[in-house]
Amino acid sequence: MSSRRAPRGEYIETETGNKVARKATLLGTQNIMLGGKTVIQPEVLIRGDLIRTIQASTQSGAASNNTAVSIGRYCFLSRGCCLRPPGRLYKGAFTFMPLRMGDHVFVGPGSVVQAASIGSHVHIGTNVVVGEFAIIKDYVRILDGTVVPPNMVIPSFSIVAGQPARLIGEVPEGGHEAFELRGLYKTVGNNPQPAS
Amino acid sequence: MSSKRHSILPPAPSGPKPPVHFSSSITIADSAVLTGTHSIAIHGESVVHPRARLDSLAGRITVGRRCVVHERATLGAVGVSGRVAESGAAVTLADYVTVEVGAAVEAGDTVIGEGTVVGVGAKVGAGAVIGKHCTLTPHTEIAAGEVLPDYTVVYSNGMRRTDKRGMAELKNKGLARQIDVLRRIIPSNPGKFA
Repeated sequence: MSSRRAPRGEYIETETGNKVARKATLLGTQNIMLGGKTVIQPEVLIRGDLIRTIQASTQSGAASNNTAVSIGRYCFLSRGCCLRPPGRLYKGAFTFMPLRMGDHVFVGPGSVVQAASIGSHVHIGTNVVVGEFAIIKDYVRILDGTVVPPNMVIPSFSIVAGQPARLIGEVPEGGHEAFELRGLYKTVGNNPQPAS
Repeated sequence: MSSKRHSILPPAPSGPKPPVHFSSSITIADSAVLTGTHSIAIHGESVVHPRARLDSLAGRITVGRRCVVHERATLGAVGVSGRVAESGAAVTLADYVTVEVGAAVEAGDTVIGEGTVVGVGAKVGAGAVIGKHCTLTPHTEIAAGEVLPDYTVVYSNGMRRTDKRGMAELKNKGLARQIDVLRRIIPSNPGKFA
């Protein structure tokens, strides 16, 4: 077939710089917010269809906010990871709650994230499970294979590992530059640049 | 012109289509995968999330009432032992069983008791019999043929303890509430598999 169209790349690149793999599964796309410059690799699954069914209070804005998953800038979702909003009983009824993610969050391959909130500059390793309603603050490193139990709160600048996750150390002084994902962002996409 | 572009190739054959026995009250997502040759039965008010996989190649699969099978979970995959069901029942889930994201329940007379939660990425080997109200935390592996007593919690790479909280009834009620919500937000398409 002859086509004047440019060959279809592996990624869809949006105006805001998001790179979303064609082979990623995004359910309920209208409820997923991407902040821009976010990479979503193939086989990633995001459950945007699990929306909040009970609104917190009617007085906090007339327009109901249905965002199920919100992702900041320069996040990197590796192959095979899964993001799903956490759910729980709230005032006697079950509801899902939104999953919020800050900027520069790296989610390793095969990880499953059901956190309530993840701060900025967080590194989640390979095959990590983040339990429901976990709260991860900024500059946190979660090592490979960790199981973060539900409702755990991980303070800033900590390194956690183990099943269940335990605090095993702190991010050293000046170590926060390793969380920067701008370089990684450039290395994927339809015309990737070599890592500098 | 429609905005969606469809492939001109015929859809790839995804294995044999199993005979199914669905209750009228189940919720099964369109993108769930059901393959195999033996029958798959799903009883009342159970929910099968998108991209869950039920494979009845090795024997019959039975899902009880009010079960939830999450995305990427596999029921009835033939494990490394290659064991298939001797009695014809590959995987049997009792009522109120939750199989979380990416968990695998291998085929071969595997039974999971009422109210049990199989955690994220956990693996239940062929022929294992899990008791009632057990909790398998994420990434636990139950060896083939193992028998787990009721109320066991398996955590932290195979440590065991008994759940003495007496929460079984409450957990079942909570699950029923969850199913109420899931039925509303997951578009169900049982007709696709019939």
